[in-house]
Amino acid sequence: MSAGSEKSFVLFPLGSRRFALPAEKVTELAKPDRLQTFPQSTPLLAGVLVRRGRIVPVCDVAHALVGPDAPARKFYLIANRQFEERKEWTAIPVTGECELTSVQPQKPAAKLPDYVLGVLSLENDIVEVLDLEKLITTEAAA
Amino acid sequence: MRPRRALQRRGARESVILFTVGGFKFAIAAAAVSEIRSMDGLQRFFGGTGHKALTKVVYTLERNGMTHFVVSAAQHFHLPPSKPTRLLILRHATAAVLVDSTDRMTEISVLHALPLAFTGEERTWYRGIAILNGEVVPVVNPSSFLSRGEAAVLRAITEPVQGVAG
Repeated sequence: MSAGSEKSFVLFPLGSRRFALPAEKVTELAKPDRLQTFPQSTPLLAGVLVRRGRIVPVCDVAHALVGPDAPARKFYLIANRQFEERKEWTAIPVTGECELTSVQPQKPAAKLPDYVLGVLSLENDIVEVLDLEKLITTEAAA
Repeated sequence: MRPRRALQRRGARESVILFTVGGFKFAIAAAAVSEIRSMDGLQRFFGGTGHKALTKVVYTLERNGMTHFVVSAAQHFHLPPSKPTRLLILRHATAAVLVDSTDRMTEISVLHALPLAFTGEERTWYRGIAILNGEVVPVVNPSSFLSRGEAAVLRAITEPVQGVAG
């Protein structure tokens, strides 16, 4: 992620921590919805939601980011994932309300996982900006 | 930019049979099933125990001069052991599928493509997803229960035995 100019990010909470996604990757914040499950074996996928007649896979990244003690997820952040030429919605369960902010991203000072694009220095908080594709790929391979 | 809508197959309505395994509901094309019957007449099959992929074949059924290999749907979908009561005999196939119960026949008009986020075995298990009264129901791919290769291995296991016995 290139530093230097302000960009928009959606901040979302997972327990006591917050993370960020580039705003252009986020479609909407959805209220609690009925998670529906069926047998499948894809890592991180918890099931699907039906939103406006569309099947939306639910990708729960909380364990990967904050461990098994993440509190109950209350909302879904709907993000766009790119699959070659196709885009597809993915719902990310989050533990509270999200926030839109415009800030200049910074390169991380310390060594962070490859899926961290950069960090946002906010008031009393340093927030990691996630590359959702890399996060999912990394965790699927783990 | 809005994502393009996932591929959906719309068109003629398709009759499906709903069945349950391990508490999950599934659908299978009615045209893919030649008979639904009880578990009477099944013979225990241990021939698949040496092949990890074939341990799901738990019985055989002799029917109309043909040997059907009976696949435990619970094992096929990696579910905990369940209590099967019904057998789906697949049309034009050597496989039959052991399920907990059959529900009813219904019609679907839209088959939603499995989202691309799903990358595991489910991509072969399912033809797609139907939404029935707001409930997501995977529509199974009948040919996934027993691939041609698996069927060939099973025939190779059973035929010499039958030859000796005969």
